Amino acid sequence: MKKISLINVSQLILLLLTLCAGSLAEGRVYIDVTSPGGRKLPIAIQDFTGIAEGPGVSEIIKSDLQFTNLFSFVDKNAFLETSDTPFNADNWRPLGVDAVVKGVFEGSSDSSLSVTVSVYDVVEMRNILKKNYSTKKNLLRPLAHKIADDLYEAITGQKGVFSTRIAFIGYDSAEGRSIYLMDFDGQRIKKIVKKNSLIMRPHWSPDSKRLAYSFLRKGRWAINILNFDTASETEVFSSKGTNLVGDFTPDGKDLLLSSSSKGSPDIYLLQLNSRVLTPLTYADTIEVSPASSPDGGHIVYVSNKSGTPQLYIMNSDGSDSRRLTFEGNYNTAPEWSPAGDLIAFCMMTGGRFQIATIKPDGTSLTVLTNVGNNEEPSFSADGRYIVFTSDRDGVKGVYVMSVTADEQHRISPKNIRAFGPSWSHN
Amino acid sequence: MKRLVVLVFAALFLFIVSCAQKEVVVPDSGPMSKKEDTSKDKDRDVKDRSKDADETTSIDKDSIKDRALTEEEIRAAMQSVLKNIPFAYNRSDILDEAKPVLRKISDWMLAHKSVSLLIEGHCDERGTNEYNLALGDQRAQATKAFLVSSGVPATSMETVTFGKEKPICNEHNEACWSKNRRAAFVISR
Repeated sequence: MKKISLINVSQLILLLLTLCAGSLAEGRVYIDVTSPGGRKLPIAIQDFTGIAEGPGVSEIIKSDLQFTNLFSFVDKNAFLETSDTPFNADNWRPLGVDAVVKGVFEGSSDSSLSVTVSVYDVVEMRNILKKNYSTKKNLLRPLAHKIADDLYEAITGQKGVFSTRIAFIGYDSAEGRSIYLMDFDGQRIKKIVKKNSLIMRPHWSPDSKRLAYSFLRKGRWAINILNFDTASETEVFSSKGTNLVGDFTPDGKDLLLSSSSKGSPDIYLLQLNSRVLTPLTYADTIEVSPASSPDGGHIVYVSNKSGTPQLYIMNSDGSDSRRLTFEGNYNTAPEWSPAGDLIAFCMMTGGRFQIATIKPDGTSLTVLTNVGNNEEPSFSADGRYIVFTSDRDGVKGVYVMSVTADEQHRISPKNIRAFGPSWSHN
Repeated sequence: MKRLVVLVFAALFLFIVSCAQKEVVVPDSGPMSKKEDTSKDKDRDVKDRSKDADETTSIDKDSIKDRALTEEEIRAAMQSVLKNIPFAYNRSDILDEAKPVLRKISDWMLAHKSVSLLIEGHCDERGTNEYNLALGDQRAQATKAFLVSSGVPATSMETVTFGKEKPICNEHNEACWSKNRRAAFVISR
């Protein structure tokens, strides 16, 4: 699993000196992901060799890169160089390809299977990534995602999201509601928590090792945390009234929640170790859906103290609350982007619910969807995509789009009524 | 194994309940009723642990058998007294049109002091999941507060919200939405 970097050290230092921009310290950035509508990088992904499943692995990598809309692909029938011959830039220049990916599997038994992946820069005729991965036959799909992550990072300087997962609530008439987990592309879907009662949208811990969710147990809304490391589930909060998970704090130690145990729903901070509960709001109106800013300094939440549900931002200790949204009379379900520059939420406009984003200073309100009802937005770890619930195709499903509203498509299977998606942070 | 435990508890529970019913005078606090309560709780726990109970509450027949009400009386009360009350869109305050219904409910509750009521708050589909749960909570609590102000003891009522998760009408129009924006009443323990 050791990364073998072939980037010439002196070249790197030279780059560092000339570019002096810290964000580009990883090496040459082939695609600037921050400039929308920029040129797509033409890339050739050769069929991986050595095992029969090799071409399948290449296909998954291609599909991951395709998802980003940052690459263009040359049809493999046009390739002049076979997969098992060494890289030669002359074979690729005529095709207009800038980068070439090769992969060679070695060994065939599960215990000794490994793959060496090489990425070449055609223009500069150099190897920009060479890495060896050991794997097992039944883990080829996550392996392909890992390779795509490394490839994406080598080319863009940014972390990929191809190994992340999405948790959501699924309903089928036989078993009621369950929490499901799937890869970011909707594959490898599995049911992880079965509950025959009402269960609400789960929320990931910052390290993505825990999942907090609210569910109805014996007429009371309780909050559970599912721990993936220990494969255990713990009830962390229950009281009379309605108790709903909002968000973990960025350090993962506390949970923001709403509870109506004292009458009207208010925002609370629950320390997970000591179980000490601290109220952050004291209004006699509805205060729900708290979400932490990535630096932990602020909380965005929903209040109807103006008469309609609107977004508010307060300091993390509950002080200095100010109203964020003024347009429309129904704004709920806020979530902060990983960089802290945007808040995604659900806005009623024209009698339907749409996903919108707004800056924390209240400017740049942008509505991203316009078909059907759309709610429950959740950002990808890199902040480039949003997963959400939509009923645009009739039955509720989980959909993904870019933060610029492009490439909106369903990822949950059609046979499950799916909602309440939450994107893991790694 | 689990199923066996459930069966044993269920059998024990039924046995004790049927014993209790034979007693003509059942004191509210006696060794018999205490024993019954503990077995009932255990029974519930086992059930919940083995398979999470479906939260669609209807009449909990077993728990009201030892009360003064017969099933028929309960059915009659559900139909004539414990009617759903409506709410305005996105509001949880008690509407004037709901007040006669609530007065009838409070009269009935005062005449049947041993009965406990579960008040469910519901919303129409024109709201987002989490916010609707809060709104349903407030509808149920406002309903309870009105009944308390009419003299019904607060201890005989519990509230629960279902948000927009349990509509009684599934069309996408105001006629349907207004039916779904409701507080509903269920006789419980």
